[in-house]
Amino acid sequence: MNRFDLLNKVQNILKDNLVICNIGLPSQELYKISDQPNFFYMLGSMGLSSSIGLGLSLSQNKHVISIDGDGSVLMNMNTLATIGNRAPSNYTLLIIDNGSYGSTGDQRTFTDEKTSLKDVALGAGCKNVVECSGEETVNELNKAIDDKDNSYVIISKINSGNVKIDPIPLNPITIRDRFRKFIGKVKYL
Amino acid sequence: MKISKKIIDNLKKGGVDFYLSVPCKLLANMIDILENDKDVYYSAVPREEEGMGICAGAYLGNKFPCIMMQNTGIGNSVNAIVSLLQLYQMPVVFLISYRGTPGEPVGAQGGMAKITEDILQTLRIPMLHCSSEKELDKISTFSKHAKVVESPVAILCDFNLMKDDK
Repeated sequence: MNRFDLLNKVQNILKDNLVICNIGLPSQELYKISDQPNFFYMLGSMGLSSSIGLGLSLSQNKHVISIDGDGSVLMNMNTLATIGNRAPSNYTLLIIDNGSYGSTGDQRTFTDEKTSLKDVALGAGCKNVVECSGEETVNELNKAIDDKDNSYVIISKINSGNVKIDPIPLNPITIRDRFRKFIGKVKYL
Repeated sequence: MKISKKIIDNLKKGGVDFYLSVPCKLLANMIDILENDKDVYYSAVPREEEGMGICAGAYLGNKFPCIMMQNTGIGNSVNAIVSLLQLYQMPVVFLISYRGTPGEPVGAQGGMAKITEDILQTLRIPMLHCSSEKELDKISTFSKHAKVVESPVAILCDFNLMKDDK
């Protein structure tokens, strides 16, 4: 199972939640599978999906899923400590861990060598940290969303590999405004 | 405490209701005030760039965020400012303790101080430079301006303004 297969499997869960999606191929693949106004596609700022989702979950009550990658989490590992200490129960961080920098040509990341993001997250103070296969991810995501008392970090271990795909044609303000309208915060659209 | 209280009062008057900080001793009093303020959200964060991301999410959730940091934090955050906050036109207030300005005892702070305003200018971020107490009165209007122009704005507080605020 690669990232595209995984996103296909979880798309029905994503549709009912606020989703912050990582820059590059993750966003492009999700856009191709199913474009929704409650999907915030990152067009820049690699590494910050987890942090954007955290800020969003602290600011309103709907459930937030940050879709991140192993390469991006390695770039912003300090935010796992913030998540471990501050994440509210409406927050789930889904790390798609394929051991490679998919968007830049599948170079290996350190999670393909010695680094365990599960151990890092636990050490950072995250309590509910699950490492699972791509097949198990639907079930684990549902459990995380149903648990109204705890936030979760789910590390989905899958194979590397991408599908051929185009950049997202939406402009950033369109992504921003339709997302905020979905939450109910934009009145002028 | 008088200066710090005035800054927070003005930020709140400007509508800011979500605060993060990467600590600085010049911000310590403001952090104390915010930690005891039940009306707004406050948390420390380990790194400024991450804070930019959290502020972006808070804005999407309809908060008006502020990140408090040293001017060195701007250097840590340039890509996040440009390819997140500015790309999506998100209002965020940067409340900056301007280390390395006259009065600063640590010589090494001078390097970032020399280029801080140049960086902000290059990024086209509106600046309010506060070197005396009187200028703090402009903070509430300046914060509201961030929302009107949908842009991050920067408030620079000089070392000498903050250092005796016991």
